[in-house]
Parts: sequence; structure tokens; C-alpha cells
Amino acid sequence: MRTRTGARPMMAGLRHSLAARVTALFMLIVALAAAGLGTYLYVSFVAEIERRDDVALLGKLRQIQLLLGRPGAAGLLDTQPGLFRDTMSGQENSLVRFLAPDGTVLADINAGSERYPVPAAAGTSPDRAAIADWTGSRGDPGRVVAGTARVGDRTVTVVVARLYAERSAMFARYRGRIAGAAALSALAVALCAALILRRGLRPLRVVAAHAALVRPGTLARRLDAAGAPSELLPLVDALNAMLARLQEGYARLSGFSTDLAHEFRTPIANLLGQSQVMLAQPRTVAEYENLVASNIEELERLARMIESMLFLARAQQDEVLPERRPLQAADELAKVAGFFEGMAEERGLRLACTGAGVVHADPALLRRALANLVSNAVRHADEGSTIVLSAHAADDAVELGVENTGAPIAPEYLPHLFERFYRADSARGDAGGSAGLGLSITGAIMALHGGSAGVVAEGTKVRFTLSFPAASHPAHP
Amino acid sequence: MTILVIEDEPKTGDYLQRGLAESGFAVRLARNGRDGLAIAREGDIELVVLDVMLPRMDGWQVLEALRADPETEHVPVLFLTARDEVHDRVRGLELGADDYLVKPFAFVELVARIRTLLRRGPVREEELIRIADLEIDVIRRRVRRAGTAIVLTAQEFALLHLLARRQGQVLSRALIASQVWDMNFDSDTNVIDAAVRRLRRKIDDPFPNKLIHTRRGMGYVCETDPCEPEPAPGP
Repeated sequence: MRTRTGARPMMAGLRHSLAARVTALFMLIVALAAAGLGTYLYVSFVAEIERRDDVALLGKLRQIQLLLGRPGAAGLLDTQPGLFRDTMSGQENSLVRFLAPDGTVLADINAGSERYPVPAAAGTSPDRAAIADWTGSRGDPGRVVAGTARVGDRTVTVVVARLYAERSAMFARYRGRIAGAAALSALAVALCAALILRRGLRPLRVVAAHAALVRPGTLARRLDAAGAPSELLPLVDALNAMLARLQEGYARLSGFSTDLAHEFRTPIANLLGQSQVMLAQPRTVAEYENLVASNIEELERLARMIESMLFLARAQQDEVLPERRPLQAADELAKVAGFFEGMAEERGLRLACTGAGVVHADPALLRRALANLVSNAVRHADEGSTIVLSAHAADDAVELGVENTGAPIAPEYLPHLFERFYRADSARGDAGGSAGLGLSITGAIMALHGGSAGVVAEGTKVRFTLSFPAASHPAHP
Repeated sequence: MTILVIEDEPKTGDYLQRGLAESGFAVRLARNGRDGLAIAREGDIELVVLDVMLPRMDGWQVLEALRADPETEHVPVLFLTARDEVHDRVRGLELGADDYLVKPFAFVELVARIRTLLRRGPVREEELIRIADLEIDVIRRRVRRAGTAIVLTAQEFALLHLLARRQGQVLSRALIASQVWDMNFDSDTNVIDAAVRRLRRKIDDPFPNKLIHTRRGMGYVCETDPCEPEPAPGP
């Protein structure tokens, strides 16, 4: 099989990478923030520069007004207009024009022959609002303001204008720097974010690397939760719980196959040994018949064992679905007791049924569970005693019990009685061949019904119980 | 009465052919699904014993082909399979199998089921069964032997009735448990043995000729056969 990561296209890999996504998002955020801040600073800077230029322009106007107010200024205006240009610090881009009240130009200092609009004169001391924009012949921005001044006995309009060619270039440079800074910081952040994410996601890679090492033989190892960040703790815990369940399942499985091999050995050894001994020399027909019959018994035992183990395996995987029906407990007890009557009689045992109630259970499975308990009791009860099958209905459960008097069971054995192949008395391997699976099948049947099987021993009395939940408490709602 | 056995496993096929022939049936054996289907289409087949896992054509396909052909659609089919998952069983029965037996099975069980399938129509319940000097009055649930009334419990009567009804057939312990006690799982074999011993004490022990016989390794049969030596009881 081809590896899926190898076949996956690079772009798709990046699109699905958490780090790439977070990095891209960070980049976008930082670029937007830097651009926003830069724009704000730029706009304030531009406004401040323009304000200062306007103040300077108004200052020039004021200077010229003062100059015109001096004695003899009227003559100067006619004879030496260049003097006024000097007050504009000799700048080529400073333009001054004097207008007579009737509109005739008294003097025009305009080296570049710029044409600019003349706003309405705003008295002797105009403010910034009186300043108008214009555009120079080469496309540079310009500002112009007009004010009145008294020259001798005349009122002259003074127009002061200025072009700001170098200012536009400065603003453009400034804008370029802001854009560059925003892009640079975004890149820097992307780099940092990628590095930080790589570091931050390292615990995830550790978890992945550990998970990749999980094999049947390493299930006992757990992920280390100590170094993991708190966000990853639930994942680590969940993975560890999963490992624990897998380990338990594997242990059960391998225990199962060990038990299986062990239990199959005995009948197969019997089959092989008996048959080989028989074939070693000529025998009578009766001897051969006996061998075949004995082999059939062993084979039936094997078949029963396989059936029981398949049942257990399926029950543990919830593949057996009980078909629950309300059943009269007394009827079921009587039926099972009747089944064992002959066997009990041979051992001088009595079977007694008491109690009543309604059990919600699968009839075949209920009978099987009960039969396993009764067969157990018949085998181990003291001769001449009575086995009591009882039913007891409580609010939330119906309890069926099988009680017998017999050899006491040591308390340490009790918790293991429902385990597969467990025999309290290992010497008593009976050829009847329940092979120690009967009680574990009973336990599995009760689990399928959402109930439980239990056992209590008091002296020589042993009581097995099957507790079925009432119909209103289903195991699988 | 020709039975067609379609089974690819050599040993299984051979013993089925031999065992069924010895039980009084004419048997034809096919080793794969396609041959089996061809034999079935030749006609004169009363019943098909069909394995599921077969080469060339599996049991499901053979069954479908049989059911699709008007010549063979009424031939009863008994499925044999090593798979006993519920959905397999349901699938077999839905496709029109008449019965289903899971491997390993007791041979007597197979013969009993084949006989049941071949007994067309509803079984007529006999009102009075007579075997040698034993009389069973099915309606009144009374049993007499050699003129003496014998008192049986309800379950003893049910067991005797089953054995008598299937006179001459060997009944496996599993079949007896299922038919008499409604216990449909393989339990300890001694339960049925004990029940039969109890019945024998009342029916056979007081009388010289025995009617209920143990077939060791197979089960029990009810028949009047004085030549048959009673096998030694098991340990």
C-alpha cells in the first residue's frame, strides 16, 4: 500500500497544517495592524506639516503687511518690488502679488510665471481657513492666501502663494517606508509565529511519535502526562485510557488462547493415545467399537468446548442480542428443575422451587444460565440434601437463586468462580466436560441482560444468584 | 429417494455418502457447486444436502440457482456450514433453505432432520403407539406394558413419546434436550442419560425384552430388536 502522506500534494499539506494556518492568520493580523498604525501616523504627520506650512505662509503675509506699513513703502512698491521677494527668503517657489483696489497689478513676483487663483482678500489678518489650494504648472501642490494692507493712503491687496514640490516627494518616501515597515513586521511575525508554533506543538509530535510506537508488546507503556501542556492533557488521558483498554483486551485474548490450547490438549491427547494404542496390535471388533465410541465422546467434548468459547467470545463482543420477553420466574425454575430431576435423583438430591416474579429475559439464555448453576449445584451438593431454586422480586430487580449444601468453598475462591476455566478444585476435572466454562457463560449471559451473577457462601451453604434488572432499567436503552 | 450431497471436503463427502447410504437413502455426491447443480437439474433428486463453502460456485449461489429453476424450486435443501453467525443462518433461510445444520454436527441429527424434511405435509399425530407389548395412549397420556399400567411424570411421558414417535431412529442427546425440555444448548450429557435411566427403570427394567437402547456415542433409540446386544453402560 502506498503511504498516504507521500501521495498527498504539498499545497494540500500546507492548507491542512495547523501551524501554516495560524502563521498565515498572524501575518494577516500584524500586517493590518502595522498598516493601520502607519496610516494613522502618516495622516497626522501630513496634517502637522501642512499646518506648519500654512502658519509660515500666514507669517509671510504678516511680514509683508508690516513692511508695507513702514513710511516710504508706497514708493518702494513702485520702484523696488524685488525687495518684497527677498522677504520670502529668496525662495524661487514663493510668489507675491500686490493688487490695487481697482484690481490692477502693482507688482508681481513670479519667477516661474505660475498661474494661480486669487482668493478673496480676508481683511488684514486672515486665518488658515482663508488659504486656498492650487496646483502648479508641474503638478506640485500649492497654497495661496490674500490679505489687505494699508500703503500710505491706499488699501492694497497682498497675495502670497507657495509651491511645495519637495514636500510631495517627502510624503511619498514616508509612505513607502511605512508600507515597508508593515511588510517587514508581518514577515518577522510570521517567522516568529512559525518558530513558536513549532516549539509549542512539539508535545503533539511527542504524542504522535509515542502512538506510532504502540505495538501489542508495548501496550503497558503510557504517554507521559507530566510534561504535557494542559490543553493536551485530555488527549493524553484519553489515549492512555485507550491503551489500558487495549492492553486489557489483549491480555484477555492471549489468556483465552492459552486456556484454549491447554483445554484442547487433554481430549486430543486422549484421542491420539487411545487410537494409537488400539492400532498397535490386532483387536476384537468390540474393542474397536469401544474406541470409536470413546473417541466420539472426546470429540463431543471438544465440540461443546468450541461452542461454549465461541458463545463467550461473541457475548463479550456484544454480538449475542438477547430477545427479552417477560417470563414467569416460577415456570422457568420448574422447567430447569425438571431437566435435572433425573440427575438429582441418582444422587439422592431433591430440587425445590420457591418464590415468583416476572423476569425480562431471553428464554433460551435464561435457561442456559440457570442450567449451568443447577448442574453445578447437583455436582457439588451433599448427597441427600435439597437444592433450592428461588425467585425473589424487588422494586428494581428480580433475583433468581440456586442454593445447595455441600463442601464449603474457601472465600478466596469465590471472586474467581465466574472466570473462564477456573476450577476451585483443580483435581475434579470432570469428563462431563463443562470444562469450567459454565459459570463464565452464566456471567456473560447476565452481562448481556445488564444484570449480574453473584455467589455467597456461608459455611456449607453456597448460594448463586442471578439478578435481572426490571424492565424499566434496560441495559441498552 | 435420492439425496444429493454437495460437499467439497473429501472426508466429509465420503462419510456423508456412506452414512446416508447405510441409513437407507440413495445418495449422489458432487464435489463442487457447479457439478452439484448439474446433477440436481437432471431430476429425481428428493433432497439436497448443501455445503456453503464450495469451489466454483458457493452454496448460496447453488441455492439461488435451484430456487430460480421451476424444476428444482421445491426440492428441500439442508444447509451444512461451519459458520453459525446469525446473519449467515438468516441469509440461508431467506434464500430458501429448509433447514440449517452447523458443523460439527452429530450424524444421527443429520439423518433425523433429513427424515423430517422428507416427511412432506403435516405430521399426523398418532393417537395410539404400539411397540411390542408397550402401548402409549397419546391423548389420555397413559402407558401400559404387558397389560400393566405404568405411571410416568409429564417429562418422562414426553421423553417416551418422542422416542416412540421416532421409532427406529437414533436421537441425539441435544435433540432430546431440545424437544423434551426446550433446552437448546449442549449441556452435560449425563442429564439426558439420567433422564433415560429413570424412564428405563419404569418401562424396561421389569420386563425381559428391552425397548430403549443406547447407541454409544450417538444417542438413544426406541425399537424392538431382541438380537441387538445391550452395550455395556459407560463409566
